[in-house]
Order: sequence, then structure tokens, then C-alpha cells
Amino acid sequence: MKRWLKLAAGAAALTLATAGCAGSGGSDTAASSSGNAPLSGTVTVWLMTGSAPETLTGALNKEFEAAHPGVKVKYEVQQWDGIQQKLTTALASGAPPDVIEIGNTQTAAFAAQEGVLTDLTADKDSFNGAQWLKGLADSGSYDGKVYGVPFYAANREVIYRKDMFEQAGITKTPTSNDEWIDAIGKLKTKFGSDPDFQALYMPGQNWYALLSFIWDNGGDIAKADGKNYKASLDTPEAKAGLEFYKKLVDTSGTKAPKDADEAKPQQATVYGAGKVAMMIGLPWELATAAKTDASLTAKTGAFAIPSKTAGQSAPVFLGGSNLAIPANSKNVAAAKEYIKLLSSPKYQSQLAAAGVVPGTSTDLTGLDKDPLGSVMAKASANGKAVPASPKWGDVESGQNPVKDMLTAYLTGKKTLDQATADANAALNKLIGG
Amino acid sequence: MTATANVTMPAGATPPASPRDTRVTKRRRGRFGDRLLPYLLLLPALAAILVLLAWPLVQVLAISFRKLDIGQLVSGKMVWIGFDNYTNTLSDPEFWTITVRTLVFTAAIVAATILGGLLLAVLMRHLGPVVRIMVQVTLVLAWATPVIATTTVFQWIFDQQYGILNKTLDRLGFHGFIGFSWFSSGPSTLTVIGLLIVWQAVPFVTFSLYAGIIGVPREQYEAAGIDGASAWQTFRAVTWPAIRPITTMVTFLSVLWDFNAFAQIWAIREGGPDGGSTTLAVVLYLKGIAGNHFGAAGAIATLMLIVLALITGRYIQLLVRTPEGDLK
Repeated sequence: MKRWLKLAAGAAALTLATAGCAGSGGSDTAASSSGNAPLSGTVTVWLMTGSAPETLTGALNKEFEAAHPGVKVKYEVQQWDGIQQKLTTALASGAPPDVIEIGNTQTAAFAAQEGVLTDLTADKDSFNGAQWLKGLADSGSYDGKVYGVPFYAANREVIYRKDMFEQAGITKTPTSNDEWIDAIGKLKTKFGSDPDFQALYMPGQNWYALLSFIWDNGGDIAKADGKNYKASLDTPEAKAGLEFYKKLVDTSGTKAPKDADEAKPQQATVYGAGKVAMMIGLPWELATAAKTDASLTAKTGAFAIPSKTAGQSAPVFLGGSNLAIPANSKNVAAAKEYIKLLSSPKYQSQLAAAGVVPGTSTDLTGLDKDPLGSVMAKASANGKAVPASPKWGDVESGQNPVKDMLTAYLTGKKTLDQATADANAALNKLIGG
Repeated sequence: MTATANVTMPAGATPPASPRDTRVTKRRRGRFGDRLLPYLLLLPALAAILVLLAWPLVQVLAISFRKLDIGQLVSGKMVWIGFDNYTNTLSDPEFWTITVRTLVFTAAIVAATILGGLLLAVLMRHLGPVVRIMVQVTLVLAWATPVIATTTVFQWIFDQQYGILNKTLDRLGFHGFIGFSWFSSGPSTLTVIGLLIVWQAVPFVTFSLYAGIIGVPREQYEAAGIDGASAWQTFRAVTWPAIRPITTMVTFLSVLWDFNAFAQIWAIREGGPDGGSTTLAVVLYLKGIAGNHFGAAGAIATLMLIVLALITGRYIQLLVRTPEGDLK
């Protein structure tokens, strides 16, 4: 029965979609041409849970309503779970929200389809365009046009136990791959007698870490060819990245499962148990670990993911969100004003203070007070995004061939050449052509 | 032996039929309104079926002939592409691998479910009341546990590092199972998923079959005992004829449910590793929900419907032809 209800709901959504199409064409030209006329109506804003602190959004909405007396802000917080379906349904309806937050890896899927999102190319400058975080800006544009305004980002770093490093005689944090492997060796010599000790917690499917290694070796998972993408997992550079991943797993003797990612089990919980010296994670994972053992907060530091070139740090995957305006929005002008206010330095610095890398401001001083945050901020300059392919959603919300490749290679089920060739073919099937 | 077997069947079927027939014919001779009434009473149910079943079915069929991605969904453009979705799906060799896998998987878990249910149902007849109630409560609990909760428990049991199964096997002397990954290959993953589904499906089958078994008059078993029938002969001649119609029904129901199983498969390994536990239901999710290719997903849904119709054709035939005979 449930299945049929779902189908019925889907059918209803489709009927709405077909019915709602008529109004979409005219509204945004009318709205944008109204220029300086006072704004009116309601602007509905959908931000994701945990994106911006309530104090920020509260002040933002108040200031916006004060500046535009005719406009009412309808602010709604959304859950990540099932958001893509919810957005799809909302966008297909005649009255979608006016400002939406889209995960940066999902933006291209919406941007690539004509008439889904409003083209914001001309407004880039009014959103502080000169200071946009490059990795995010790339994910928000498609075919040379801007559809998504960078909102915020975060990137991974190596979170480590300062006390353990000290006891193992490691005086300075690693700044190259060799030093990193060295540090693992020293930690194992010191603590290796404890069978539960792990110098580095490294699950087999942390593909965000793999991205760093592949980029660091000069490779990529896919290369743009005009509007299309071609997978490049079988290149020597990508293979070098995989080999380094295996080296880390083998040298560290991590007990993490090879067929799961960092969320299964939550690596922060494992770190919280106190037998792990390092993990590759996001700054706020420390808070999760501190729930198990509060003393970890003081004992934990961070360093950027090292590069094979000494003294540098590896490029990192920027996870985060963009802001966009649905093409069907009834209040595009007000929505643009709203994004403009949110991209202003005042609110961007509040984002930084909340512990994320702001999307439209290069001022990262807000992150400095947090030792883990400042490391992240520094590394974010070298941040990159996954291919801005409209079909990337198929990879991420479906079966990710990169993860399968890692497991097959690390468990020895496939050779490096076989694993990369298979994954390349699978990725091409999903995003190629 | 055969004589005893035949006693069970006709008992309920024929005698009540004649009085009912005369009542119907009497009513037919009545006024027009009287004749219309049954149809009017059917109308609400018919409307519900049309709205909830027929209309979505038509929609799915229509969508399967369209290109329907986010763009078309938002703009509302109708892009008809004929049989493209079907040819694309059918020309993909992986689709056929997955179809075969789904069929084998379904057949295996249906067989295991029915066999397990049958054994438990027969067992329950022989148990004393206290033990029987304990078994029944256990079954109900297994049945009542939400799918995702059970799935999580199974994931813990089969966990590579901390799973109780590997630890137990290690204690029993099978040291090779330390750190053994049950989810490293498709068949092994599907076996775990199959166990999980069977575990949840057996209670329903057991209770249905047990209901059939307690319907058999005690005297028949006594008669079989006096005739000197062995346990197997008693089952063949007394129990089986009584529960055959119910077994047919639960078999077909299990086929329908297991063929469409999704939650357990997705929750365990999302169809992995390397696509090794992907079934048609998972493909449908990947195309439609994960990939937003609703047209292609519509085509797969239609194909699944056709496959299901083919394998349950016999059941439908029985339903239509002999509503009161075989499947009573």
C-alpha cells in the first residue's frame, strides 16, 4: 500500500508540475526589471539545519525586514535527510521558496537544467564576487554562468593527539608525506604494545581523503571536456594517490573497516575512545569525540593534510553549500537583496566565527580563535570541488564507484590496475558523455 | 490414505452454495433500485482503487515514455521519446545480470521462508501449550520489530571488527573468522540480507500455516495414527491437503514482497560492494530518486511489473478462475 501512496504522491507532484509551468516565464524578468522600486511580498528562505547559527539568521532576518519594510521573511530550516527530493518537489511546484541552500556537489544537477535556477551572472559583483571562495564558486557555475552563490565550506584536516605526539618524540607536525609516515612509525613504536592502539584511523572508503591524495599527485577523478566529463581514475597520477592511501592504511595498521566510510562507525566516536592518535576529519568532529572524553578538547590539535612536496599542504575537498534562487520564484528581486545582505562582510565574519569557511569573504579571522578552525581556514585556500557535472548526484547519492574502487584495492580483491580500470568505466557510465 | 485426504476438501465448499444462490436470484427479480444497490455499494471501493492504483499505474506507464529529469519536471515540458527508456534499459547487459540476480535471490529467500515457516508451523502443533506460546511470542516479536531496527541489529551481528558472530566463531575454534568481512562480495552480502529478510518473513508464514493446521479435525490425525501412518505419511495425507491452498497464497505473497525488497538491501550496503548486491528495486531507486531520471525509472518500474506479472501469472489465474476452489 505504501508504495502506491508514494506513487500517487509522485503523480500529484507531477500534475502540479505540469500545471505550474505557465507562470514561470514572465515573473523573473518582471521582478528584475523593477530595479529600484520598493520590494514587497514575502521572501521564503530555506537554509539547512546547522548551516548558520540562529543568532546570525535572527539578526539577518531582522535587519532585512527593517531595510525593506514591505517584505516579510519566511525563514525555514530544512533537514539534510531527503533534501534533494524535497527540493525537486518544491522547485517543480508553482510556488517554490525564493532562496534555497544547495549542497555544493548537488548544485550542478540543478544548474545544468535550463529554467530551474535563476541566472545570477550579472549580480555576482553585488554579492561580493571578488572574494568568492574559488572551490565553491566553481561548483555553483555551469557553462560559464553563475547559478549558485558560495555560502560556506569546510574541509578536512588531520586531527591529532598532541600528548601522544609529544610522548612519541614528535616535535613538529608533519609537513610532507614522508614526515607523516615517519610520525606513524614513531607513534607505533611508542604505543604499539597496546593492541587497540591505532596511529591513524583510516577507514577504507574515506574518498574525500583520497581526493586530496589524487589532486596532490596532479591527477583528478574526472576531466572536463567541454560540457562533458571523462573519468580519469586510471591515470598514473590517480594511481599514485591510491597507492599513498594504501601506504597509510598499511603502515598505520588501522583497524577501521575497509568496506565502510568515516561515518560507519562515526570515526569521532572511535577517536573519543582514546586509542587513536590521528584521524582525517572536520574540525567539529572533535566536539563529538569530546562527548565521550571531555579532556580530548585540550589534548587535540590539527595540521593540514600533508603534501608529497615538503612544506606544502595537499589540496582539499571543499564540502559546503551554495545559495540559489529558483527560476520559478515569485520574488526574485527580494531574494537577490537577501543573498546580498547575507554575503556582506558582517554576516560572513559571523559565519567564520561559527567555525566554517565563509563563501563570499576572504576574511577568515573569525576562525583564528579555534586552533582546529584556523588550520582548516588556511588549507581552504587550496580547496577544490568534485567535477561540476550535472550527473554528479548519481555518483554521490547512488553507488559511488570511487568507494568501491578503494575497498577492492585495499582488500586485495583487485589489483591497482584492475580496480582503477573498473572504477573508471563505472564512473564514465555515470557522468561521462 | 487417499480416501482420508479427500474428506477435507469438499466439507465447506458445496453445501452452503445452494441457499445463497436462491437468495441472489430472488433479489434479481426485485425492483430496479434493488438491482442497482450492489453496484452503488461497490462504487466507493472502485473509486478508491481507481484513484490509488489505476491512476498512478497509468502515470508510471506514461512517464516511462517520456524524458523526465529535473529540468522537464520544473518547466513542465512534455518530452516524448517513445521506447528510448526501454531500449536503453534493455540494451544494458548489467540490467540482465541484475534481473537474473533478483530472480535467483527472490526464489532462494521465498523457498527458505516457506520451508522455515512450514517446519515451525508443524513443530508448533506438536509443542505443549507453554512452549508453544513462548515460540509464538518470539515469532511475534521478530515480526513486530521495525525493518530498519532489525537491519541495524544484523549489521552489528555481522560487523567485521566488533560483531558477535565473528567473536563467537572465533571462540568456537574457527579462528579464520577474526576480522572476516561478511560484506566483501555480492553473494555473501546477499546471503546476509537474505537471512535478514527470511528472519522477518517467517513469522507471518508460520502463523498462516499454523492457522491452517489447527483447522484440521483431530480425528483425522487419530485415524492416521490408527492406520499406522508414519509422521511423513501423516503430513502428506492429512496436513498438506489442508494447508496447500494457504501455502500457495503465502508463496505468492512472499514472491511479491521479496521481489520488491528494498529497505534491507539498501540499508545493509546500498547494493554494494561494487554493485554486487544490487537488485531491480535498488536500480529503480538509483535511477529515480538518486539520479532524478524519472522517465528511465518509470521504464524499469514497468519492466518489474511485467516480470512480476509473469511469475505470479499462475496465482492470478487461480484467483480469477476458481475464487472458491483452490485458494479458499
